[in-house]
Amino acid sequence: MRTRRHILAAGGGGLATLAMPSLLRAQQVEVIEMRGTPRGERIWYNPIGLAITPGTILHFVNRDPVNSHTATAYHPELFDRPARIPDGAAPWNSDFLLPDESFEVTLEVPGVYDYYCLPHEMAGMVGRIVVSRPSDLGWHGVAQDTDDLPEAALRAFPTVEAILDQSRIDPEETR
Amino acid sequence: MTKAFALAAGLLAATALPALAHDEEALRQSPPPAPFIQVSDALPLPEFIPGLGTLFVDPATLPAGPFLAYDRDGNLSATVYMTPLEELANGISYDDLHVGAHNVSSVDIYYNAGHPGVEAPHAHVVLFHDDEARGRLAE
Repeated sequence: MRTRRHILAAGGGGLATLAMPSLLRAQQVEVIEMRGTPRGERIWYNPIGLAITPGTILHFVNRDPVNSHTATAYHPELFDRPARIPDGAAPWNSDFLLPDESFEVTLEVPGVYDYYCLPHEMAGMVGRIVVSRPSDLGWHGVAQDTDDLPEAALRAFPTVEAILDQSRIDPEETR
Repeated sequence: MTKAFALAAGLLAATALPALAHDEEALRQSPPPAPFIQVSDALPLPEFIPGLGTLFVDPATLPAGPFLAYDRDGNLSATVYMTPLEELANGISYDDLHVGAHNVSSVDIYYNAGHPGVEAPHAHVVLFHDDEARGRLAE
């Protein structure tokens, strides 16, 4: 079975965008795969770090045949976690995706978005999206509160500088 | 005293063996009787997990199990235990765990980073019950 769940993680401007005729706005799509080894020793998002422009659609898909995964934004509205997405951006949670299931979210607010996999955060399965650039109006940088995050998750985040420099970071490059 | 203890042990063995044999027969084919439940009915996991097959567990025994692993034809092929590494390091032990079948042809032990139901990094201990079990659970 394949699901497609669409959520707009943006402020009011994003809602206005949704109402526009699709022909007026060609949206770019970036795929983020949820992957793992056959026995589950390692699990990861591929890419783990990604730089995008506002309005890009993120397409999360589970390519791990032995496990389920989520893409869940760090936000107090979701499991009372600390906010690690820009102010004004709506949090998202894909819920559990079984193998080959997918989920889409569109990010509009400039800044740094950190997210994690609900059952695998302790193992360091996290990802970071950078929307736009720090020089842009309304930019929100990396959240500084790290008290609630497992050490493995904190170690796994690529730096914003590296993401902006390379546009896309595959997990092998960070380990 | 020693003789009395030996007699008691013998009586215990004599009464326990038929019960174990009965349990083994009851678990041989899927689905096993209550309190076992199918893992994929309770958790967001694939119904058949390549490498582990279709898993059943008594929820009261989580996280260690035993998890009963059945092949696609419903034959009990392995018994699996899942032991969180941090708990082991903190001194928790898992003793006298049950087995799904008494014949064990080989054992695999490997690390797992976690999954729904047992989120903490843990070890999988897999007791294969016949020589072909590994292949049947693989796909």
